[in-house]
Amino acid sequence: MIGSVIVVGAGQTAAVAARTLRRLGFDGEVLLVGEEHLPPYQRPPLSKDYLAGEESAEALGLLSEEWCAGNGVGLRLGTRVVAVRGPERAVELAGGEVLRADALLIATGGRPRRLPGVEGERVRYLRTLADADRLRADLRPGTRVIVVGAGFVGSEVASTARALGAEVTVIERAALPLAHVLGERMGEVCAALQRAAGVDLRTGETVREYTETGRGAAVLTGSGRVVEGDVVVVGVGMVPNVEPLAGSGVELDDGVVVDEYCRTRVEGVYAAGDVARHYHPLTGRRVRVEHFDHASGHGMAAAKNILGRRAPYTAPHWFWSDQFDRALQYAGHAEEWDEIVVRGRTDEFDFVAFYLCGGVLRAAFGMDRGGEIAVARQLIASRARPDPAALRDEDTDLTDLL
Amino acid sequence: MEPDEWVEVTSLRDLERRRRRLVVVGGEQIGLFLVGGTVYALRDVCVHKGRSLAKGTILHGRVICPGHQWAFDPASGRPDGQEGCQPTYRVRVEDGAVYVDPRPRLPVGEGNR
Repeated sequence: MIGSVIVVGAGQTAAVAARTLRRLGFDGEVLLVGEEHLPPYQRPPLSKDYLAGEESAEALGLLSEEWCAGNGVGLRLGTRVVAVRGPERAVELAGGEVLRADALLIATGGRPRRLPGVEGERVRYLRTLADADRLRADLRPGTRVIVVGAGFVGSEVASTARALGAEVTVIERAALPLAHVLGERMGEVCAALQRAAGVDLRTGETVREYTETGRGAAVLTGSGRVVEGDVVVVGVGMVPNVEPLAGSGVELDDGVVVDEYCRTRVEGVYAAGDVARHYHPLTGRRVRVEHFDHASGHGMAAAKNILGRRAPYTAPHWFWSDQFDRALQYAGHAEEWDEIVVRGRTDEFDFVAFYLCGGVLRAAFGMDRGGEIAVARQLIASRARPDPAALRDEDTDLTDLL
Repeated sequence: MEPDEWVEVTSLRDLERRRRRLVVVGGEQIGLFLVGGTVYALRDVCVHKGRSLAKGTILHGRVICPGHQWAFDPASGRPDGQEGCQPTYRVRVEDGAVYVDPRPRLPVGEGNR
């Protein structure tokens, strides 16, 4: 039986893991070591309601310092872990202090990928509450916002900025937004959604040169056009925080490699959340996923496995994105498919698209159809082979297919 | 309660076919749900982000919001694992007709959140 757990990181995954450890009756030491100065908080609203000024910072809290004190969960905040020593199950802090435990959970998350050459006073990235506070102060009616990258963060920032009355230009390298996840057909729907909201979406464009003057910022694009703005938000993906793991003995491959039990190859060292490249039985592959529901579910699974309950992490991934007054949701994981079956109306942004591969439902993407996505998620979990005609037919209740 | 508060809103047969339906009674948007053979009524506008619950789904005895998949107990209006409560309404089924009392029931001890 283990007597102590150190969680490296203090985000969503860490918070859920700590809560799960206590809920399952673990009465040993639990310590969260986090680089930020704040106790764990939710990140999804940082690009949505919080950025729009509709939610308070207090409402984002996940584990209050009072809860931690009452439950004997230690918080070492504003503290950087510089090295993880796997076989010793020890972590070395920036000041040289070394902490040991019976189990380590690596939940270091990630940081925004930097765009080389785009540096200056007007450049913003979005990951932390402090980032959101800074960007929020920039977004006013008439502000000219340039968003680089039409992924989920970029699209959500574009949406919030439009809602606040800003003028928004989005520069996306790919031919369509989100097509690397959703495919071209749904990428086109997402592009239409952005344009309908008044976003100047420039696809197939890169940032060739970035300059700032006292009056503003200017992007020279790959095609030779100049886009001027007041602030530039870069959302070009995330880099997993694995630097402290160098030499730790755990396997690294764009993240920390773990099996379906959140175990690294070093005994007693686990990883979960954004940083974990985990084997997922549903796809038979290792994937790394950067979404809230995964961060929670994976943190929960890690806590169970640390306590010796064999709890494979098998649920289909699920995420949402609120953009332009639509609730986008995706369940499952599909890198290839033979057929996309659409239920509802894509031109009205009210639909579910089902991704079928060899007749098996692998993934589903929808707008304002979260209920049906919930059903689809169960169909995906059971590797169902639903009749495409039934999926398409709005008079068929999807729960009848379960 | 006054008997004249009951308003006929639809037929049981219609709900058996569609399982969920939005009705508007006295300015209240009410979602009707047929769950396990019983008709329930919830305020249609989700307490979380204002999406229409009637556009959601019934799954494992819960009403699932299309916005962010909050799952409501249709009898109490309580969302699983979340704060708050969705107002509910009294429902009566008689001779194949569905009646609703459009005065929302607030749970005991729940102030105006």
